[in-house]
Amino acid sequence: MGLGRALVAGSGVETLIRYVGSRLLQAIPLLIGVVTLVFVILHLAPGDPTAIWFNPSIPPEVLERMRESMGLDRPLYEQYLHWLKSFLTGDFGYSYSQFRPVSEVIGDALPNTLLLGGVCLIVVFGIGMAVGAWQAVRRHSAADSMLTFVTLFLYSMPGFWLGLMLILAASTWLGWLGLPVSGMTSVDHSLLGPLDRISDIAGHLVLPTIALGLGSAAGVTRYVRGEMLEVLGQDYMRTARAKGLTERTVILRHALRNALLPVVSLLGLYLPLLFGGALVIEVVFSWPGMGRLMYDAVLARDYPLVLAASFLFAVLVIAGNLLADVLYALVDPRVRHA
Amino acid sequence: MVASAIEARRGAGSRPFGRALLVVAAFVAGCDSGPPRGADPMRGGDSLAAAEAELRAERAYADGVRQADSAAHASVDERNRYGGTIVVSGRNDIQTLNPLVATDMESVQHQAYVLFTPLVRSGPDFEPLPWLARDWTIDPEGDRITFHLRDDVFWHDGVPVTAADVAFTWERVVDPAVPFFNPAYFDAWEAVEVLDERTVRFTVRPRSNLLYGWAVTAILPEHILGDVPPDQLATHPFGTVSPIGSGPFRFVERVPGDRWVFEANPDFPEGLGGRPYADRLVYRQIPEDAAAEAALRTGEIDMIVDADPVSARRLAADSGLVVTSYPSAEYSLIAWNTRREPFDDPEVRRALTLAIDRESIARVVRGTYGSVSAGPVGPWHWSWDPGWEPLPFDPDSAGRLLDRAGWTDADSNGVREKDGKPLGFELYSTPRQAWQNVAAIVQANLADVGVVVEPRAREQAALIPLVTSPDRRFDAFLVGWSRDVPLDDRDLWACDRVDDPMHFTGWCLPELDAVLDSMQVVPDRESLARLTRRYESLVADAQPYTFLYNVDTILARRAGLRGVEADARGTWASVAHWWLDPESRR
Repeated sequence: MGLGRALVAGSGVETLIRYVGSRLLQAIPLLIGVVTLVFVILHLAPGDPTAIWFNPSIPPEVLERMRESMGLDRPLYEQYLHWLKSFLTGDFGYSYSQFRPVSEVIGDALPNTLLLGGVCLIVVFGIGMAVGAWQAVRRHSAADSMLTFVTLFLYSMPGFWLGLMLILAASTWLGWLGLPVSGMTSVDHSLLGPLDRISDIAGHLVLPTIALGLGSAAGVTRYVRGEMLEVLGQDYMRTARAKGLTERTVILRHALRNALLPVVSLLGLYLPLLFGGALVIEVVFSWPGMGRLMYDAVLARDYPLVLAASFLFAVLVIAGNLLADVLYALVDPRVRHA
Repeated sequence: MVASAIEARRGAGSRPFGRALLVVAAFVAGCDSGPPRGADPMRGGDSLAAAEAELRAERAYADGVRQADSAAHASVDERNRYGGTIVVSGRNDIQTLNPLVATDMESVQHQAYVLFTPLVRSGPDFEPLPWLARDWTIDPEGDRITFHLRDDVFWHDGVPVTAADVAFTWERVVDPAVPFFNPAYFDAWEAVEVLDERTVRFTVRPRSNLLYGWAVTAILPEHILGDVPPDQLATHPFGTVSPIGSGPFRFVERVPGDRWVFEANPDFPEGLGGRPYADRLVYRQIPEDAAAEAALRTGEIDMIVDADPVSARRLAADSGLVVTSYPSAEYSLIAWNTRREPFDDPEVRRALTLAIDRESIARVVRGTYGSVSAGPVGPWHWSWDPGWEPLPFDPDSAGRLLDRAGWTDADSNGVREKDGKPLGFELYSTPRQAWQNVAAIVQANLADVGVVVEPRAREQAALIPLVTSPDRRFDAFLVGWSRDVPLDDRDLWACDRVDDPMHFTGWCLPELDAVLDSMQVVPDRESLARLTRRYESLVADAQPYTFLYNVDTILARRAGLRGVEADARGTWASVAHWWLDPESRR
């Protein structure tokens, strides 16, 4: 962790800003590399955007005109340069499978994915840390063994399968819960008051969050349990108890805080996993987000939409990693007290 | 999986009917436009008798549904049918309601029956009926047609719908700057003249199905779109953000990727049926079949459009739900590349068709919701001839034909050869489960007559260039598509279009060209039906396609949703008369 050491050596805030700035600068060539790669792969794949209109009743001349209007008749490097130029000026192009500007399409879908991913992240780390720490404290108890079994079971369960099982359960023996199984809002959402709207969305979040997050939560639980066990065996734990601190203070203040340091860096690793998982879970639960958008866009060979969406995913992943690094530095007491 | 299919087919020698449909293969993420569906063809065992019993049970069930619906009609007074929100779900989102660029079935349906009032309306046999046009007259010479419009149809912003809107719409659809997808609808319409606010006259050339285009192309509001340059109409937000229509329902909101919401138009003219029964009508996209099924059971939605045959069985067993179907314009086929050996030999193509058990394929893939296809015209079309039989399933004759064509199994290795070359081919399809099942059965059937089939799955966007590019690097491919009411198949067969993308087979016949050309211009239905027969028999003789099965569209709905009378025109044709039992309203 270069930042940690830099912060210890330098003067707090200024170093942090300089570090973040340089990381952001490094991200620029990386992002251009990502979209260029996606551009090449997309065009190497057979087929083009007119594939979605594959139908004998559509005359070839019309498709040819569509190709021309999308610029597909020009050489590839020209298409690339043209696309890159407009992209850099903030023009993401027009989505021919959605009949709308790409920026509009993404503007609708991105918040929904961030909401699902964000809630999921909170749940994953909330549950993971609480259960993992509790298990470590009660290590080798019957409850610990049982939770170990359960977490391993959940960890190895594919999210889309879990999603389908949840849908099945919610429509049969869990039907009395009245949990919605598809979409993000009820059809009468716009007629509801502000509070009802929030609870409407919350209700729709339950099943996708479980399907998307349960496996990750189990993973985090295993990780936290391991870290906690290590910390609990340290000498300073004995010192803390010898000082006469209550067991509660020892566990929460001394053990958990230290055990969480590596967990924070895990956050950066889980972000891309969550967004990747959203791709499948959004299809299963009809969640109107980026994952589903991207899935449809790839199949439709909607080049501008796929490129813009890949760009955003890359931004999210890079930002997630940067955030994890910064958080790591901020919670490290050696940094805080420097 | 494929190997076991061959074993099952050879071992039992029976048809993979019936029970196989209960085996769910839907719990796997899909790779093309539709989620995977269909049954496991590997569970053979049921007999033909069982299949027939199943069809009988299906018919009895359908009768029961009709009786229950008419009983409800009789017991609920007309005044009590108003109210409630009807939620319908489909696999695909409606991307736009802009009539100039929309091609998907859901969008066209919502234009024709929900949001707009087209110039004419299709009757059950696709005959043009008065709608926005209260009547029309055709000059004795037949080259001019004059429409008289109703004076009580208004755009949802209050402006009346006039002859100027009709003329404007026509001018745009034929404008080369507008990428209108069905120019053939209007290629016989040559000029327009607005005579007064309610009268518009067109100059036309003779054309079969002359008025059909007007039944499926919504009239556009000139007062909103008149100033938009034609080349920008396709990308105008009218169709995606703020459509203003003139039909029985008004646009309320769209949540992209999720739903479209419409509300009853209280000003819809009495003469056209007046205000629809439902207060609100919602179309929701639910891409995953299992989720749609669950949503129907929990009451989140009232109807699934195009349910898959496997879940249809389960849903029909639920007493609170009702499953119905109607013949759709979709059929499936194997296209043979006759530019290549051995598909250049019509006898070989006929043998392949005879050797493929299309009845089993239809049952496995569609259950009772489909039928064997005998040619390019299915039961949905008014010109369909129920007496027109498909080639039988007859492996023995197939073997004899192949022998005669010189393909024999001289070395008794189970594969026929000719000049040392084994008889085999690659069969392309998309990875959808239904196609994989079909490919497995075709493979097993043809193995029985000594032909080696290698199924190859390619995602749709990758398959299309393979079969449409000029070099046509394929032997055969499996495909399904929907027909349009005007049967214009010149793209598929015409000799002067052999190099066009849709001319997959490369097979053509001057006599067929003449028939297809005449089919576009004969004005009366009797002559058209006669030509269609000729078309069918020419294609049947040559077998450039092996026609597989016709698809029935399945509607699964809550029993409390009434008045859904769907036919080949589509699910929404009766939407203004759908109503909810008072106790079923949410």
